[in-house]
Amino acid sequence: MRQLFHYLFAVVLILLFWSLVSLYFELSRGVALIPYPWGVAAAGAEMWPEWSAAFLESARRFFISLILAFAGGVPLGLFVGSHENINRWFSPLIYLLYPIPPVALLFFLYIAFGVGEAVKVVTVTLTLLFQVTVAAHGAARNISPSHILAVRAAGANSLQLHRHVILPAVMPQVFTSARVSVGLGITMLYIAETKLGIVGGPWSGLGNFIEIYRMRTDLSLAGVVGLAFLGLMFYVILELLERWLCRWKYAGKS
Amino acid sequence: MISVRDLRIEYGRGRRRTLAVDGLSLEVGDGELVSVIGPSGCGKTSLLLAIDGLIKPSGGRILVLGEEVKGVRKDVAFITQDAGLLPWKTVRQNAELALRLHGFPREGVREILRALGLAGFENRYPSELSEGMRRRVGIARALALRPKVFLMDEPMANLDTLTRERIQEIILELWHMYRFTGVLVTHDIEEAVFLGQRIVILSPRPAKVVEVLDNPGMGEPGYRRSPEFYEVVIRAREILGSPEGR
Ligand SMILES: Nc1ncnc2c1ncn2[C@@H]1O[C@H](COP(=O)(O)OP(=O)(O)OP(=O)(O)O)[C@@H](O)[C@H]1O
Ligand SMILES: [Mg+2]
Repeated sequence: MRQLFHYLFAVVLILLFWSLVSLYFELSRGVALIPYPWGVAAAGAEMWPEWSAAFLESARRFFISLILAFAGGVPLGLFVGSHENINRWFSPLIYLLYPIPPVALLFFLYIAFGVGEAVKVVTVTLTLLFQVTVAAHGAARNISPSHILAVRAAGANSLQLHRHVILPAVMPQVFTSARVSVGLGITMLYIAETKLGIVGGPWSGLGNFIEIYRMRTDLSLAGVVGLAFLGLMFYVILELLERWLCRWKYAGKS
Repeated sequence: MISVRDLRIEYGRGRRRTLAVDGLSLEVGDGELVSVIGPSGCGKTSLLLAIDGLIKPSGGRILVLGEEVKGVRKDVAFITQDAGLLPWKTVRQNAELALRLHGFPREGVREILRALGLAGFENRYPSELSEGMRRRVGIARALALRPKVFLMDEPMANLDTLTRERIQEIILELWHMYRFTGVLVTHDIEEAVFLGQRIVILSPRPAKVVEVLDNPGMGEPGYRRSPEFYEVVIRAREILGSPEGR
């Protein structure tokens, strides 16, 4: 509840700042170079079917990418991180590929995956996958030996060790890293969606929406606002999921 | 019940090789509670790990219940130095862990938790407990399997005196109740005398047995305050303080 209040406060603050900037340009240049928030809201309402379709399309892509990144990155990071001899070979590989932004390879991704739906999901998935893998890998290498010992002494086999110790131990770090990477992921999604310009029309993602209406500043800003909401939405989803799955972390604190 | 012969444990290879235990022999009879005491870092934990089948000795033989130790057994419980509770599991889930891992029905855990004074805390996480309570959860987890053999690695270390003595009494009661075979490792002399029918004194690393003290009065009411108790304590202190025991 308090959290909600803080978010509302932030929204109000941003709208206020935005209005001031618009006002400044209107006064200094004589024209409203930057549309006011209410102008943008009106434009968004006017184009509501397209805007909401674009929002849902981007959200769907991001959601699929997030699931794929978790499904691939967590097992990969755990596997590499918890086997010393595999780690020696694979961790240099991970850390070498890690700093490469997938958009730098967008051209090759287009060649490999075409210009359709797949390449957008792949770009975002790759971005998130590396973040999640690196977090899981790092956490898996720092698991308390006393937990491992206690569970092995209680008779656990390797699978049970992963299930009861390693997986729960890395989850908080994986969630933190996924949450921090939401912004990066949205950026990548935007780039992947805009690079192809007009293909697909305004309803095929917020990136396209912004690109197509770039001459109508109020509409294109409505697209940007959509991106901000998208990011916030996934941030909150991940936060709630973490609070539920890792509730032990919050036990004993008010 | 437990028979250790000429045990040798080493860690690492080449220049990093550490000999932790060398030529250690020890017999623990059926239903006997033996305490093991020795200087810090001498190899006490290593000895218990080997008896539980968690590390492979590089020499010697260990028999538990007449069989060579090959891996962790269901009828042997191990309480680690810091209880090793999993922070993401509640008290009940931690206590049930061994049962769950072996696919046994999760029965009797409530009663055990109640007997250890943990009733009402079943759904709390370890971070919400005091250190003494955490150790008791560790004991509950070991107890849940109804083990024949109990290996305890300093279960009372770093506790305040009152809590420490309370848990010592709990262990004594449990031993009277279940008559398990127990090996209790400690670096506290009075604790070793309070809880050991025999007290095994180890040398500095690499550990071997320096002397075994008989302690016939152990388990009698009020033993902690009796002259016999102090006699054994003083005797143990002498041996630990002598050149071969240091
Ligand atoms: N995993 C390991 N790798 C390398 N050396 C180890 C390892 N575990 C223990 N040792 C070494 O073996 C020796 C005995 O260790 P151990 O833990 O058995 O002693 P301890 O008597 O239980 O000590 P403490 O009183 O501190 O609990 C120590 O010198 C330690 O450095
Ligand atoms: Mg030890």
